[in-house]
Parts: sequence; structure tokens; C-alpha cells
Amino acid sequence: MNEHKLSNYFYILPIVALILFLFMYPVAYAIYISFTNFSLYHFFKYSLVGFQNYVLVLTSHTFLHILGNTALWTVGSLVPMMALGYLMALVLNQKDIRGKRLFFTLMLFPWAFPAYISLLVWLGMWNYEYGVVNKIIGLIHLAPINWLTYPDTAWIALILTNVWLSFPYYTAIFLSSLQSIPTELYEAAEVDGASMWQKFGRITLPMMKTSISFVGISGFIFTWNNFYPIYLLTGGGPGESTNILIVYAYQEAFAYNLYDIAAAYSTISTIILAIMAIIMLKITHVLEVVS
Amino acid sequence: MIRQKVNPKYLILKLIRLAISYALLIIVAAFAVFPIYYIIITSLSPIPTLASVSLKSLIPTTVTLEAYNGILFHEPFLLWLRNSLILASGTVAISVIVAFVSGLGLSRLNISMKKVLIITIYVMTFFPFTVTVIPLYLMFSTLHLVNTYYGLIIAYSGGNSVFGAYLVKIFLDNIPRDYEEAAMIDGLSRFGAFTRILLPMSKPIIAFVSLLSFMGAYTDYALANVFISSGNMWTLTLGMYYLAITNRSTLYNVFAAFSVLMGIPIFIIFIVFQKYLTKVYSLSGTK
Repeated sequence: MNEHKLSNYFYILPIVALILFLFMYPVAYAIYISFTNFSLYHFFKYSLVGFQNYVLVLTSHTFLHILGNTALWTVGSLVPMMALGYLMALVLNQKDIRGKRLFFTLMLFPWAFPAYISLLVWLGMWNYEYGVVNKIIGLIHLAPINWLTYPDTAWIALILTNVWLSFPYYTAIFLSSLQSIPTELYEAAEVDGASMWQKFGRITLPMMKTSISFVGISGFIFTWNNFYPIYLLTGGGPGESTNILIVYAYQEAFAYNLYDIAAAYSTISTIILAIMAIIMLKITHVLEVVS
Repeated sequence: MIRQKVNPKYLILKLIRLAISYALLIIVAAFAVFPIYYIIITSLSPIPTLASVSLKSLIPTTVTLEAYNGILFHEPFLLWLRNSLILASGTVAISVIVAFVSGLGLSRLNISMKKVLIITIYVMTFFPFTVTVIPLYLMFSTLHLVNTYYGLIIAYSGGNSVFGAYLVKIFLDNIPRDYEEAAMIDGLSRFGAFTRILLPMSKPIIAFVSLLSFMGAYTDYALANVFISSGNMWTLTLGMYYLAITNRSTLYNVFAAFSVLMGIPIFIIFIVFQKYLTKVYSLSGTK
């Protein structure tokens, strides 16, 4: 019997090895690096420097600025993409809409096409001189805009691109949870003479609370760490005005070889994100409901 | 007689609701489709640079495959494609095997690690890849795995296998144990029952894990950029970055043809299996 039990662990040996080798050890190593002066200048001989990197990062204006950007990026893209996704799910869920399947498939296009490629396509579309976005706004006689070179318009471009990339995901998820609400509830409400808004407020929203919170929290974590849109479209520019923590950490490490600062940035970013995720999970009680 | 009772006010409200709904559907669908349409049309046109893209060219009058000729035979596209496919298929192979075996263990066997593993997987999603990429690079350079296919395949397989194992476990939890127990009574060993009975039943989730890990490797730029230094190891994403950003003199229709060749196969798979894929995605909470 004991032997039998031991053999059970052979099944999970590979996964445990992968977690230790590719996740636990690197994370520990990264935290260690964040306490050293490991950079291009001290590549072969680096030493522990205590909290020096953390002090340096946490007292710098750059950090606060980039943290603010990360919050703006996360909330600023999550709210419109979830709202649009939800709205389209409600529209598609109406009984008397024709061609649902077709509209739904068309809306899945941004999700179906690899995001990396779409982002480079969008980069061409936002181009000042030749981009198709400026040509379209030219139709209503607006002057062309140098989208990616001013902070305000760069944010608009980034968030619009990100909404395009992700809203289909939310439409699909919300549509499937809308369809799982029992129709008897609505029928009963109709008998009682409830209006469309009452049905929405009293049945639809409460029934979807858990699904919205769960998807919202996962989306928050995903968007906070979403690297490619900003890296490819603006590279964090102009200056650092659209840079976020993850892109900044990557650039510090691989453009400037400041591995110590990059490790400190990544660690701080993870801690902040984990704290926020835990608070959100506690407030919404999502985990208790899901598990 | 009863029908006549319908209040004309409700009829008007209904018409307004439907009009708004269709307007929204058409606008949002156009927004969703436009960039993909635009890049396909551009790839089929003789447009030499981005400068000559005009709104008129959105409705093609002449169709040419010149750009495809350009990307396939005048750029190292096929070499990049080969590299990307080697990396992606290696990643799929490792991830699927590890995910299935560990998913089996977690779902069917008495292992005291289940909860720990599930929490680990959730916590792993908090960590940006920038945390692990520097240590991995250093580890792999001491192991001489930098600039090799193996190094990247191992790096890609990590997250995919772990997440895949979790998906396989959820999937297997929904299959009653009676199936493999019956097979074991008929004389199959436990491992035999797993591979002969549960493996064929797991086809859908294995296909999903394959797609996820394929996509992860096939569209990765950030790790490839760090781990690859020699030109003949370049992947499609590195080549595309070079053509779109570093080398601005690239013909725009050639870039468009690149996007289409690299993206459309994935796109078609997704659209064909959309019903199934959206279901699994919504269960797993990933994008």
C-alpha cells in the first residue's frame, strides 16, 4: 500500500520539477538580485547592498510616475473593455435579434488574431503621416493627429487598441454567463409586470455578480502585467509618460543592463499587485464562491 | 383578439430597442473586423509604402500576390517560420505530456499536494515574466542553453505545463471514475486504463492545451529577444519586429503579407472551433 502511494508521486514529479526549476528558483534568485548591485558595471563581481535598490526606487519620481501610469493603464483599459464587452453580451442575448451567430463571430476577430501581430498592425494604423486612422478622421475634416508623440493622445491610442484587443473576451464570457441565468426568473418577473430595467437590476446583475468580480479581478491582474501593447506601440514614450512597471523593468534590464534595479521594480510591482488582488478577492468573496 | 391588446407604446419601444441594438452591433462588428480586413486588403494590393495607402485602396480594384512573393522569397520568412515551428511544437509536446500526466495524478490519485499546486498556479499569475527572465537567462547561460532551441522550449514549457495540468485536472474531475475502474476489472493495469480510456476521452482538453502552448511560443517576442542572439535562430516575431520597427524601409504590403501568413492559420483555427474555445476559456479564466 505504501509503495502504491509512493508511485502516485511519480505522476506529479515533472510538474514539481518544472515549478521548482522554472519558477521558484528564478523568483528567489530575482529577489536576491534586487538586494545586490548586479548590473553591467558589476557583472562578474557583485555584492549584497541591502535595501539600497529599494530605497533608490521608492524615493524616485520615476517610480511614482510609472506606478500612476500602471494604475491608469489597468483601470483605464479594464473599465471600458469590460463595459463594452458586457454591453455587447446584453445586446446579443436579446431573443429577437437576428444574425446573432454572425455578429458574435465578427466580434471575435480581435481575439482570434494573434495579439502580437495585431499590435504591429495598429502601430501602422496610428502612424501620423500615413496611418489609416488619420485618413478616416480626415473624412470628417479633422486635422491629422500625431497620436503616439503626445502623452494624452498616446494614452487614447493605447487604451483604444487595448479595448479592441480584449473586449471580445468579455463579450464571450458574459454572454455565456447571461445564458446560464434560468429563464423562469424572467418569466416570473414578466408575470409580475416588471419593466426591462427592473429585470436587469433585480435579476441579471445580482445573478452575474460573482462572474463579473472573478473576471474583473483576473482581468486586473492580466492588464497590470500586459507587456506587449505598451512595449510595441509607444515603448513607454514619449519620455516615460506611458511607461508601466513591467515594460520599464524589462527595458532597465535588457536595454540598460541594470539588472538590480529591474529586479527591484519587478519585485515591488508583484507585491503591490498581490496585495491589491488579495484585497479584491476578500471584498468580493469570489474564492469562497468559486472553490 | 388578445393580440390587439398590445399597447402601441410597447411596439414603439421595441422598435427603438431593436434599432439601437442593430446599430451597436454593426458599429462594434465593423470596429472589430476593420484592422484584420485592412491588413488582408493591403497584403493583396500593389501598394509600395505605407505612404500610398489611401482610403480608396480599402476597396481593392486590382489584386496581386506580389507582396507574398516578396515575403516568401526575398525575406528569410521560411527560415523564421521553421524556427518558430520547431520552438512551438517542442513546447506543445512537453506541455501536453506533462500536463496530462500531472493532471491525471491530481485528479485521480491520492496526492497531498493538490491544494498547494492550485494556489501556486494562482500566485504564479501575479508574477510578471520580467521577474523570472533575468535569473533564467543567467541559469541557462551557465547550462549553455542560451541560443539553442532547447533553452527556449524549456522556458516556454514551464508556465504552459503548469497551467495545462490545472486544466486537465478540472476536465478529468468531470469524468466519472467508473470508466477506468471497469477497464481495470477487465484486466488493464492502472496506467493502461489511464492511457487507453482517459487519454482518448481527454482529446478536447489536450487540443486546448496544445493551442495555448503553441500560441505562447509562436507569439512570444520578449523571451526570444533575450535568449536568441544569432540571426539564423530568429523566429517570426523577431523577424516581424525587425521589419515593422527596426527597418522602416520595409514595403508595407510585404509587412501585411507577413501578418496574414503568420496570423491567418491561427485565426481560422480559432473561428472554426470558437464554440468550444470560448467555453473552455470562460471556464479557465484566461484570456
